[in-house]
Amino acid sequence: MPRRYLLVKVLADESVTEDQFRDILTGAVRKSFGEIGYARIDPKLVRFDSKRSTAIVACKPSMVSELEAALSLICGGEKAPMAPLVLQVSGTIKGLQKRLN
Amino acid sequence: MPSFVDLHVLPHVDDIKSCRQIAQTLALAGYSMIGLTVPTGLFHDRLAEVRRTFSDYDVETVTRVDFASRSRGELLRSLRKFRTVFDIVAVKCLNDHVAHVACRDRRVDLVFFELENPKVRLTHAMANMLRGCIELNMAPVILRTGAVYGTVSRQFVLAKEHSVKVVLSSGLDRAELVRSPIQMVALAATLGLPRIEAVKGITSIPMSAVETNLKKRSPDYIEEGVRVVQRKPR
Repeated sequence: MPRRYLLVKVLADESVTEDQFRDILTGAVRKSFGEIGYARIDPKLVRFDSKRSTAIVACKPSMVSELEAALSLICGGEKAPMAPLVLQVSGTIKGLQKRLN
Repeated sequence: MPSFVDLHVLPHVDDIKSCRQIAQTLALAGYSMIGLTVPTGLFHDRLAEVRRTFSDYDVETVTRVDFASRSRGELLRSLRKFRTVFDIVAVKCLNDHVAHVACRDRRVDLVFFELENPKVRLTHAMANMLRGCIELNMAPVILRTGAVYGTVSRQFVLAKEHSVKVVLSSGLDRAELVRSPIQMVALAATLGLPRIEAVKGITSIPMSAVETNLKKRSPDYIEEGVRVVQRKPR
């Protein structure tokens, strides 16, 4: 099944773990688009580098815009502010690795 | 690659550390130009220092002022006094009287509304006579203060109906509210703005507003259609 991959830089005061980011991501998509939207977008955390605070997130090709919008709406609240920046979108993980390196 | 412009950045001018953080994040996100919103009475050296902070990260700056006038007279006085001082002039519409004047006046580049305030909104009449652009700030959308999504969608519908240019800005005052151009376009597209318009709203429309104003502020500019092409040698 073809997928689109998003390179996300997570900017946060405190370091974020892979599990935390996965929870935040699924929570944000569910909150913005509901359960049906979640199933349609089908977001998956493919890779997470806690040292560099970067993540690669996959989704269905037709739903990239929705995933980007859901990621934009993550702000982490007053106590632990967070800004996920979508830096690049690609059809392959290799394409994103080039940017990372 | 197009140059991405965010015309509404409100840094804390007294806090250079925060300015640096914002500049760094904006550069990482891919912006090449920003509208630095500063108070009208800011000292020149302070402004120069803030601008230098942004230019250190290769982010070009233009100065911008936001007028939040309560009356028509106050707005006109402010425009008369500060139009030539700033590169971009925006009006925050606090009531309908001010909104009508701001939409009609050609000195106003951008008009924006408080998304949380349901009493003052863009109407058909305003959209019809709007000479500048309507600006949408994403910070209230990101922070979800109030039911703003409906208001934003309605603005997009009106803008489309009256062929009004839409500028997408962040309206950020801290680094955590920076979103990449990809995200800004996606968010606007999700809320109802056609994707092509959303891309223009972050690239060509704000850029042309800046270029037009810079041209007007140059010493060679006389009036619309008239400019100095050559000066007599002294």
